[in-house]
Amino acid sequence: MPSDEPVLRVRDVRKGYRGGPVLRGVNLDLPPGRVVGIVGENGAGKTTLLRVLAGDLRPDGGSVRHGGRIGHCPQETVLHDAFTVEQQLRFFQVAYGLDSLRRAEELMEALRFSGSRRARPATLSGGTRQKLNLVLALMHDPDVLLLDEPYQGFDWETYVRFWDLAEELRARGRSVLVVSHLAYDAARLDTLHRLEGGVLREQERVDAGAVYEGAADRAGAP
Amino acid sequence: MRRHWGCYATAVRMTFVEHLRNRLALVIIVVFIPVWAILIYALSLEIPLPFYVRAADRTVTMPANVLNQLGGALQILALITGFMMFVTTMNSASFDRRLVRSGFPQLCLIAAKLTALVVVALCVALYATGLICLTHPTAQPLLLATALGGGALIYGGIGIALAAVLTSDLAGLVLVTVICSIDLALQSPLATPAAASVLVRYLPDYGPMQAAVAAVAMDTVPWNAVGPAVCWALGTVVLGVSAFAGRTRVHGPVGEPVTAHS
Repeated sequence: MPSDEPVLRVRDVRKGYRGGPVLRGVNLDLPPGRVVGIVGENGAGKTTLLRVLAGDLRPDGGSVRHGGRIGHCPQETVLHDAFTVEQQLRFFQVAYGLDSLRRAEELMEALRFSGSRRARPATLSGGTRQKLNLVLALMHDPDVLLLDEPYQGFDWETYVRFWDLAEELRARGRSVLVVSHLAYDAARLDTLHRLEGGVLREQERVDAGAVYEGAADRAGAP
Repeated sequence: MRRHWGCYATAVRMTFVEHLRNRLALVIIVVFIPVWAILIYALSLEIPLPFYVRAADRTVTMPANVLNQLGGALQILALITGFMMFVTTMNSASFDRRLVRSGFPQLCLIAAKLTALVVVALCVALYATGLICLTHPTAQPLLLATALGGGALIYGGIGIALAAVLTSDLAGLVLVTVICSIDLALQSPLATPAAASVLVRYLPDYGPMQAAVAAVAMDTVPWNAVGPAVCWALGTVVLGVSAFAGRTRVHGPVGEPVTAHS
């Protein structure tokens, strides 16, 4: 049975831009082996929060403490158009200090895009680019995975396979923090938080499909 | 240390893949440099023109077409290296940031960019020197190559620095073009009577232009031109690297790992 000692502890994190404060004191404990969701209105600060947790932005105040390796899948696909899929994987293999691409190959197999290794991102579909974006965040088997709307552009089958992957990670004691539409996802989460007014509040989960965030924007989710 | 060598080797390999994917720059290098060097030499007037080599405190008289060719070579090399470095640095900004956040040593990425800059500057400088030497005798070909390489380095650094503040290819190209056009026009006695003014000493390509003229028309090295050229090259490279380092900076977790607090 996994320990409940959090692998990510966030205390009173504050962050603002010129337009005013966005995060006004976010607190969060992420225990191992949990899949946790964050919902919120557009502009509520979900992406800002994930970027702070990933070390991409410095918070104005508060603390973020990691208990293991972090993987971050940004909302926008961050790939290099000059490199093939294989070259991008090699680059990140070196970054993570991995001996082999075995895990990356497993993930590509699971997401069904193993045949695209020689292709460059510009020739891939939006969904396949997003798959590569996800593999780059996951290939070092991180203890904590931060996902910002990770399945934009996925077809339904890939979307289901993504959640199978999240389930497999949870079973191996990995933690997943996912910013999501959650129209279909609520039942798959252990805990659900709402980011509102710059703070996180735990929200009671209801039946799948009942938690809608701006449903009109997302009629086509995933 | 071994990991850093591995990271550096990977970064260098990928940086060259990136440069070689920039087909427009390669076409300009292979086709445009010879066309430019030969046409400007063949079509310019051959009237004698005095050029004040301030760094050696001597005035030399040279055919206008040779002077034009040297200025033109410095300009095209500045455009090529400036634009190549600008485009690669700007296009890879988000990817580099993600790499550094994932554990890729920032120092290795910076070293790879500088290696690429030096190699590109060296290659285009040797290529242009060879072409110039084919068209007319040059007293000091090595000095000419050094001068052209120095000019390319300076504008490569400017390209990296501009990539920190601009967000479009067009803006970068326009700005590099404007800067080097003003720089070299002010030093050309054909374009402006102020070419001998003391103010030209503060222009980026002052050192390279002085050295290039000395390489063709003199048998001594104008050492006083080296200082300003080195200052400009180091200054622009340091500015570019600082901008790159600031943009790819990672904000680590604040505090100790949670596992340390049971």
